[in-house]
Amino acid sequence: MTLLEARGLTYSYPGEVLALNSLSLKVTRGRRLAILGPNGAGKTTLLLHLNGTLRPGSGQVFLDGAAVSYSRAGLSAWRRKVGLVLQDAEDQLFAASVAEDVSFGPLNLGLSEQEAHLRVEETLAALNIAGLAERPPHMLSFGQKKRVAIAGAVAMRPDVLLMDEPTAGLDEHGTAHLLATLEKLEEAGTTLVFATHDVDLAYSFADEVALFGDGKVLAQGEAAHVLSDWTLLKQSRLKIPLILGLGLKARACGLLSNEAALPRSRRDIEILLEQAAAVIEGRSVPMRLK
Amino acid sequence: MLSAGGIQVRTVMPIADRVANLNRWRRKSLIEKATLALGMLALALLLPPFPAAPVIAAIMTGAALIGARAPAKAWLALAAAPLGFLFAGAAVLTVQIDAGGLSLAPNGFAVAAALIARSIAGLTCLLFLALTTPVTDLVAGLRRLGLPVEVTEVALLTYRFLFLLADTAMAMDAAQAARLGHDGFERRLRSLGLLAANLLPRAMDRARRMEIGLAARGWEGEMRVLPQQAKLSVIGLTAVLAVEAATAAIGVFLS
Repeated sequence: MTLLEARGLTYSYPGEVLALNSLSLKVTRGRRLAILGPNGAGKTTLLLHLNGTLRPGSGQVFLDGAAVSYSRAGLSAWRRKVGLVLQDAEDQLFAASVAEDVSFGPLNLGLSEQEAHLRVEETLAALNIAGLAERPPHMLSFGQKKRVAIAGAVAMRPDVLLMDEPTAGLDEHGTAHLLATLEKLEEAGTTLVFATHDVDLAYSFADEVALFGDGKVLAQGEAAHVLSDWTLLKQSRLKIPLILGLGLKARACGLLSNEAALPRSRRDIEILLEQAAAVIEGRSVPMRLK
Repeated sequence: MLSAGGIQVRTVMPIADRVANLNRWRRKSLIEKATLALGMLALALLLPPFPAAPVIAAIMTGAALIGARAPAKAWLALAAAPLGFLFAGAAVLTVQIDAGGLSLAPNGFAVAAALIARSIAGLTCLLFLALTTPVTDLVAGLRRLGLPVEVTEVALLTYRFLFLLADTAMAMDAAQAARLGHDGFERRLRSLGLLAANLLPRAMDRARRMEIGLAARGWEGEMRVLPQQAKLSVIGLTAVLAVEAATAAIGVFLS
């Protein structure tokens, strides 16, 4: 089911060439979508269109199949369903403490103080930051700020959560931690959409990839499918994800049959190597990677 | 951490803020802490300075360092500047200038001692408040006392942005220094001018992005958040009042 759709969006900043050039994109319920493109491609501009912050010069955005309205009430309804997390968490945290900041959205939804309080507690617990509730934002680490910024959006229980470069600047541990948290949110029914320039992240984490180039979505589809298209990747100035590249190479060498699923994680590659070693030694091993 | 890009903001305000947020009495109700600090301050001003002032100073320093476990280093860092002014100012009281020139003032030492004792007592009260109660709690308290929400909102946002601005300024300053922008007085002045000029557009930019972020969370002009309220402990408040009554008694009857 399509939750959010952009059709033929065109937008240009004053005095600039087109940032978006008849761009179309679909967000399907329950499908993790990575909007993938290099720096300056217009990913943030697109996200700002998807929650109504920017209004396209031409084209239209559809929410649950209906064209959106940019009236006050329309925007309010839109933002109840579609949450946005900015790239720089610092831009989002304004309140005196973490708990206060996270309570901002729920109170704007019109929840009572008691309900909002519950919502804050649940959200902080879900993101593993309950211990930070009373901290002021300037006493948080970079990774903690990121989580708090996400909590601020998540506390509103949006259908779709748009995130701008959610892992940018996080170390590996922080990234793994964040992705695990996002998976939990997804299980609770939130559809995840994130903009990134990281092809490896897009390949390993997203179900679907929308490849960005020249202000439009060059292709949207299964991650492995889109990301193995050399021509498209070149056009959007990106490289093939490492693991996917290795998988394709294994296929080309006959280590992996054409029907077998391509590896998606480091572990998959390790299994593939074990199989290769077994083939060399002439042992037969159970084919674990089918 | 009070850092952006690894640059620590080293001024007195962040020290106070840090301790205020992490001390053992952080969660005690504002009413208890404010009653203690402001009540003792009033006693320090009203009672004859001896023996009340030393008693108050001892109690309030003990409350901050032993009760709330504020680090003595932070306490000293905050006390240093006012104490410096105080001693310099009090020294002047011990002398007088008249037709005969400079001479020791009659009673000069007694007056100076009274001033110093009273000021230190007052200072310990305010230090206690500053080190146990975050600014945000104080502002929330003022709101409950009837300060309009528009004022408190601006106060809190200003407070929040002070840290961001300081971080940005420190980062820019370090970047300038790394490119030799601080070599020589003239260049230093020029760098400072550039820094000041660039802070404003950056601040505007940030404000604009923050507006986007707030709007995404349904902001329509009013910044409503759930205030945190500590439970008022009747025992705590009674203890505070008892200490104050005892201090007042000592101050009145032993003077």
